[in-house]
Amino acid sequence: MHDVYINSLGCFLPSSPVGNAEMEEYLGWIGGKPSKYRALVLRQNKIKTRHYALNKEGKTLFSSAEMAALAIGDAVARSEILVNDIDYLATAATLGDALVPGLASHVHAALKIKPLEIANFQSVCASSLMAVKSAYLQLKVGEHSCAAVSGSEFSSRYFRPGFYEHTDTFQQTGEIPFQTDFLRFTLSDGAGAAILETKPNARQLSLKIHWIDIRSYADRFDTCMVGGAVKRAGDWSYWGGFNSPIEAIHAGALMLSQDFELMKQMIPVWITHYLDLIDAGKIILKDVDHVCCHYSSYSLREEATKLLEKAGVMIDEQKWFSNLSTKGNTGTASIFILLEELYHSGKVRKGEKILCQVPESGRALNGFMLLEAV
Amino acid sequence: MINSQTQSTLRSFIKIWTDFATSLDTVPVIDKLRRGKFRIEDYQQFLINHRQQVIEGSRWIARAASSITSEYAEQRSMFLKHAITEHRDYKMLEANYVSVGGKLEDILQAEKNIGSEALHAFMYSRATEPNPFDLLGAMFIIEGLGQKKASQWGNQIKEQLKLDDKQVSFLLYHGTHDDDHMKQFEETLASGILEIKGMDRKIIKTARIVARLYRLQLEEIGHY
Repeated sequence: MHDVYINSLGCFLPSSPVGNAEMEEYLGWIGGKPSKYRALVLRQNKIKTRHYALNKEGKTLFSSAEMAALAIGDAVARSEILVNDIDYLATAATLGDALVPGLASHVHAALKIKPLEIANFQSVCASSLMAVKSAYLQLKVGEHSCAAVSGSEFSSRYFRPGFYEHTDTFQQTGEIPFQTDFLRFTLSDGAGAAILETKPNARQLSLKIHWIDIRSYADRFDTCMVGGAVKRAGDWSYWGGFNSPIEAIHAGALMLSQDFELMKQMIPVWITHYLDLIDAGKIILKDVDHVCCHYSSYSLREEATKLLEKAGVMIDEQKWFSNLSTKGNTGTASIFILLEELYHSGKVRKGEKILCQVPESGRALNGFMLLEAV
Repeated sequence: MINSQTQSTLRSFIKIWTDFATSLDTVPVIDKLRRGKFRIEDYQQFLINHRQQVIEGSRWIARAASSITSEYAEQRSMFLKHAITEHRDYKMLEANYVSVGGKLEDILQAEKNIGSEALHAFMYSRATEPNPFDLLGAMFIIEGLGQKKASQWGNQIKEQLKLDDKQVSFLLYHGTHDDDHMKQFEETLASGILEIKGMDRKIIKTARIVARLYRLQLEEIGHY
């Protein structure tokens, strides 16, 4: 078995940062009116700027695959490898560019590198850690020696008015539900990437992967963040089950939505995963120097920290690193974008440990990863 | 500042509680409620089956209080107070049953379902042992359910069956005094009972057993 190291991190955030006041100039005005929930959502998530891969005319500037390839290119450019050293590629995204085939094929094509093994991971935020874990295990057992992993999102394209205005709900009420509008002011675009190798860097800091632990709690939770399905009279209808895609659109099955109340109920469960890892001796609180936790909203972080304090397992907030307010919530890309900024900030010293967490509300999933700077 | 033994017991309890509370949605009757398919008969059955739990609750707490020796007078008061606050709650539940078309004699004559039999046999056997502070683990599982889940269920039932507040008052009432659940548990743990050798482990084990048996009671609704 080999040790596995994250030897470089890169990111790609399209265009210039977009401030809160300008958001709807990019996303558009549903029914020609400003959103009534915008201010409330932004007050809760505390995001100040984010990036969009579309311009103010709603035109696509970069595909998700292109952003992933650019992030991998950035990571390669700052690494000690050559792009053709990559012999395994794992990609993560909530939604790729096409329904079929998987995004990994498109990222490989955009990278313009030699034939190699690929793997495609699709869920919500935590598919980033699924992709990292697959690369970690591939390298650990000696199947490959250099892997690129990406997370990329282009959610803004689904937030444009045309994606809502044809639904029956909008046609009847002139409004869209909070659980869908809420996401328009939560998610934004970008990509992040990591280069993994079986040996540490010769010239710069490496982050050795100690372990990655992912756990699903879908046995007890209903779907919370959903695209391609709609709940009608207590039952889920999936978009492909309608007589036509047009019927699915009318029923609202093609809008992304999230049940915020259900998500809040997941917080204690995610915390029990953390408690289990403490009890198993995998997380030793006093040894953690940096916490990189992906969360979608500052208000959710506050909910979680209240519980952590009660259980006496809160890691000093001084050690928490976040760039949510400046780079936005980029789903699967977020953990890479967080680590990239932390890694290049000069704040991480040799011997220090970084605890990463990526919870996912999709259907209650949570992942942890422990890194050590070497 | 709470000590590490209290904190570690609290952590174990949080894990048991969270696992119990979040997995309840997979119990058939709760799953049905979650899916929006509840019928008035389901609510009636729920009340009939729950009544035994409410009646027995204050009785085993009272019995546990009588098993507490004099050096733990303060904890005994807590058990007694607890038994008093709850010992007539079942009246409200009976009124709810009648308000949704149930016959009073039916709910008065109903026996315990097989899950309730197991749960209460266990409770009484523990309550008879000297200083049964491990039952705190049980109390906080059951209390937590009242505080965190009852009002949620009550509101869902009210909405699905188009009832008014008075017809679901038992469930709604129990959801009102929220949030102090863990805090109270922590304070009780810190009151000196953990100095009894092995009590921390016993509290956690009892909480685990009660969580399992409570679930069984819900799984066995209608099975006598």
